[in-house]
Amino acid sequence: MTVRRGAVAEKRKNNFFTGRRSAAEKPPRGDILLIVLPVILAATGVLFVYSASYYSAKVQYGDAFFFARKQFLGFAAGIVALVLAVKFDYTKLRKKPFRYIFYFVSAALLALVFVPGVGRSNYGATRWIGIGSFTLQPSEIAKFALVAFCAGYAADNMEKIGTFRGMLPVLAAGGGYCALIIAEPNMSVTVVVAAVTFAMLFLSGAELRYFLMLAVPALLAVPALIIAEPYRLLRLNAFIDPWSSPKEEGYQLIQSLYALGNGGWFGTGIFQSRQKYRFLPFAESDFILAVIGEETGFFGILLLFAAFALLIFRGIKTATQSSDFFSFLLASGITLTYGLQTLVNALVVSGCIPPTGIPLPLISSGNTSLIVTMASFGVLYKISLSNKKAAAFIQ
Amino acid sequence: MAITFLFCILCARFFYVQIAWSGELAGRAMDQWTREIPVVAERGLVTDRNGEILADNATAFTVFARSNAVKDVESTAKKLAEALETPYEEIYQKLTGKRASEITIARKVDKAAAERLEKLSLDGVYFSRDNNRTYPKNELLCQVLGFTSSDNAGAAGIEKYYDAYLRGTNGELLYETDLVGVRLNGAAAAYKPAENGYNLRLTIDSGIQTATESALKRMARQYNPDCAECIVLDPNTFEVLAMASVPSYDLNNVPRDDISLLNALSRNRVVCDIYEPGSTFKVVTSAADLEEWKRGNQAAFSPTHVFSSSRTRQVDGTTVKCWSNHANGKHSNQTLAEALNNSCNPCFTDIALSLGKETFYDYLNAFGFGKTTGIDYGGEASGMLLAETAVRNCDLARIGFGQTIAVSILQLACAVAASVNGGYYYEPHLVKEIYASDGYVLQQNEKKLKNRTVSEETSEALSSMLEGVVEKGSGKKAYIEGYRVAGKTGTAQKYENGHIATGRYVSSFVGFFPANAPKYLALVVADEPQGAYYGSVVAAPCAREIFLSIIDMKNIPRAAAE
Repeated sequence: MTVRRGAVAEKRKNNFFTGRRSAAEKPPRGDILLIVLPVILAATGVLFVYSASYYSAKVQYGDAFFFARKQFLGFAAGIVALVLAVKFDYTKLRKKPFRYIFYFVSAALLALVFVPGVGRSNYGATRWIGIGSFTLQPSEIAKFALVAFCAGYAADNMEKIGTFRGMLPVLAAGGGYCALIIAEPNMSVTVVVAAVTFAMLFLSGAELRYFLMLAVPALLAVPALIIAEPYRLLRLNAFIDPWSSPKEEGYQLIQSLYALGNGGWFGTGIFQSRQKYRFLPFAESDFILAVIGEETGFFGILLLFAAFALLIFRGIKTATQSSDFFSFLLASGITLTYGLQTLVNALVVSGCIPPTGIPLPLISSGNTSLIVTMASFGVLYKISLSNKKAAAFIQ
Repeated sequence: MAITFLFCILCARFFYVQIAWSGELAGRAMDQWTREIPVVAERGLVTDRNGEILADNATAFTVFARSNAVKDVESTAKKLAEALETPYEEIYQKLTGKRASEITIARKVDKAAAERLEKLSLDGVYFSRDNNRTYPKNELLCQVLGFTSSDNAGAAGIEKYYDAYLRGTNGELLYETDLVGVRLNGAAAAYKPAENGYNLRLTIDSGIQTATESALKRMARQYNPDCAECIVLDPNTFEVLAMASVPSYDLNNVPRDDISLLNALSRNRVVCDIYEPGSTFKVVTSAADLEEWKRGNQAAFSPTHVFSSSRTRQVDGTTVKCWSNHANGKHSNQTLAEALNNSCNPCFTDIALSLGKETFYDYLNAFGFGKTTGIDYGGEASGMLLAETAVRNCDLARIGFGQTIAVSILQLACAVAASVNGGYYYEPHLVKEIYASDGYVLQQNEKKLKNRTVSEETSEALSSMLEGVVEKGSGKKAYIEGYRVAGKTGTAQKYENGHIATGRYVSSFVGFFPANAPKYLALVVADEPQGAYYGSVVAAPCAREIFLSIIDMKNIPRAAAE
C-alpha cells in the first residue's frame, strides 16, 4: 500500500506534461512506448523467425515460409488482440465472476492438452492443443490468467493477504496451474508460473515470514524435479562443461555459443547466419536470440536489450504510477512475467544458466505467446492511460 | 536498480561470448560448417629411356555418400546399383550402415559409370576423382616396376622406392554444408589443387627388355628351370637396359590374394637374391692376375705362362678338382686364355693362391663383392664373401673359380662390366631422370664413378681373351658372325646342407659386345635347368638371342673385318 501511495505522489511531482498542457485541451494519452516497442519487437521477431527458419523449414516442410507465415499471422492477430485489449476495460478482470471464469477457462485449456485427439505432442511433451492446423499453447494464456486472477484477488482482499489463510487462494491458483503444466511436462514454464505466483504474493504485500516459509520448500523442490527426470540432470552437467558431450547434451549450448561467437561486433549481416543451417536447434524459437546475435552482432544484441530494458522500465513505471492496487498488481505482474522470461532466455542462450525452453517474448516463434504478450501490453497501455486520466483528474 | 544491474550483467556476458571468446568459438564452428573432398594428385608416370610409358594412370572415381543426407535410401540404392552395376543389397547395406556418417560406396569407378551417376544427381552422393594405376605393357618389367596398393601408394619395386616422388600431394575441395552435409547453394567452395607426382624416366630400354623377356621365356620353355634371370647393362654408364626374371606376372592383375605367390613372382631376383656364380667369376680372377702381372707383381702369371696340366690341386689337405677329367688332353699346357676357353678350375686356383689373400681381396673389394652396388632399388642383397680375416687357403682356392662366394646377378654383371670397360666401376642405376609433366627436370642421374678396378690395357687384354672364349671356347653358342661377342660361361653345382646336390646346377653366361669397345653386356642365369645344365648350352644361346635382337633393333653394322 505504501509503495503505491508513494509512487503516485512521486509521479505527480515528475509528470512531464504537468503545467504544459491542460487535460481538457486534449484527451490524455497513455505511454505510447508500451504499444510502439512491442509492435517493433514483434515485427523484428517476424523478420528473424523468417531468417532463422527458412532453410530448415524448406528442408523439413518443403516450405521456406512455414514458420515465417505462421509468425506473421500471429503478429497480425497480435495487433488485433492489442487493439482489443486497449478497448477492453481491464478492470472487469477484477470482478468476481469474471475473474474465476477467466481462471477456470484457462485451467480447462491446460487440461484439454491431455485429451487424446486434441492434445498435440512435440519433442516428447504434450504442450499444445490443436484444432485442425491451428495450435494453441494454453500455458502461455495461463501465465496472464494467473497474473490477472492474483491481482484481482489481492486487490479485493487487501487485509487478508497479510495472513497465511489469505494467501491460500493465490497459492492454490498458482499451484493448480503448476500441477497441470508440470504434467505436460514443461518444467521451465512451471518454474516461471511458480515464480510469478510468488512475485504476485510479494507485490500484494504478503508477510515476509510466510513468504519465506513457502519459498524455501519451493526452491528445494527444484532439485527434486531435476532428479525425477534424468534428462534434466544431463542438461545440468552439459551446462557445466558443454564440451564434455558436444554431440549429445552439450550440443545445443555449444551451437548457441558458436552462433554468438560468429557474430562478433557487428554480426554476419541479416540472413547471413551460418548456424541456422540446421546446426542450431530451435533457432526460430528458444534460441532465436543466438541467430540475432550472429546476424547483427554484439551491437544488435545491445540494441535489442535496450529496447527490452526500456519496455520493462516503462512497465514498472506504469505500475508505480497506478491509481489503484489492482492496476498496480496487474501492470507489475505483466511486466515481471515478460521481464523474467526475457532475462531467463538471454541467460540460457549465452550459457549462464542450464538450457531450458523459455521463448524470448515477442520475438521467438509461437503464436499463442505472441498474441497473449501483445494483448498483455495492450492492457499495460490501458493501465498507463487510466493512470494519465487519474492524474489529469487530480490536476 | 536491480533491472539496470541485470541488464549490465547480461550485456557483459554477451560481450564476453561475442567479442572476447569470439575467435575461438568461430574457429571451432568453422570445422562443422565445411566438408572436404580430397582432390587426388595424379601419380607420376614411369617411362622407359625413350619415353615409352610403362606405368600410367586411368582416371577413376570414388563414389561415397553421407547417409543422413540421402533422402530416399531405397531409390538411391537402386539407382546406384544400376549405374555402378553392383548388387542392390550390397549398396543398400552400406547406405543403412550406421557406423560412419560418410560411407565409401565404390572405388575405382570408371568415367562412364561416374557420368551416369552424375546425371542422376542423387542427394547425399558425392564423387572424388582418383587415379587407377595401369601398366600398358602388362608383364613387362613387372619385378622392377612393382605395383601400388589399392589406395595408390607404391607397394613394391620402383613404385615403392620412388614413391615420395611419384606420389604427389593431394589437394582439397572445401565446400559449405548444412548440419547433415547437404551442400549449400551459392556457398563458395575453396579449392586447393593437387600437386601431381613427378615422372620417372628409367634407364630401361623397353625394346631390349621385351627381347630379353622373350628370350628368357624361350629358354625357360626349353629347359624348364625353376627360374631364370637376365640383366642387360651398358658397361660405359652402368645404366640398366633390361632386367628380367621369369616366371613373371601381369601388373594389371596382381595376384594380391595369394601373398606367397605374389612374393615369389614379384621378387626382383636380379637385385635381391644371391647365388654361387661358378665359372663366370673367373673373369674377375683373370682381371686380377693380368693387372698384377702388368704392375710387375712376381706372384702373378703372365699371359704366356703355362699352367700345370694336373686335374687336381692339394690345398690345406683338401683336393680341388677340375670339372673336366682332363682325359682328352684339352686341358693340357694351357695359357690363361686357354684356361678361360676351357674354364679349367685348377688354373684359377693357382692364380688366387699365388696372388694371396691380401691382393686377391683387394680386387674382390674393388669389384664390389660383399657389398651393395648402390642401385636405386629397395632390398638389394650384398652377397656373401668370407671375411678376409677368416678366409683359409682352401676357401681362397675355390673363390678363384667362383665357389665359396655368393653374389647377386647385378653384382656379377657390374664386376664383369667394370673389368672389360677399361676398368671403371660405376654405380648402377635404373632411373635416368625425375621430371615434372611441364618438363622441369628435378634430378638427372649421370654416371657416377665409384672406383677404378684395372687399367685400360688389362681390360683390353681380358676382353680379347673373352672374345676368344666365344670364338673357340665354351661360349661358342653365343657367337655372332661379325659382331665380336665376348663372354664366359658358368655352370655351378648347387649345394644343399653343405653337400653338392647332384643334378642341380645354376647355368649362366655373361657376354658383351663389341669386344673392343663393349656397349651391351648381358648376364643370363638359369636356376636348375632340366635336360641340359652347361651354361654353354643353356644360357649362352639365350644371350645370343638377346644380342641378335639388339643388333636388329639398333641397326648395328657388322664390325669391319680385321
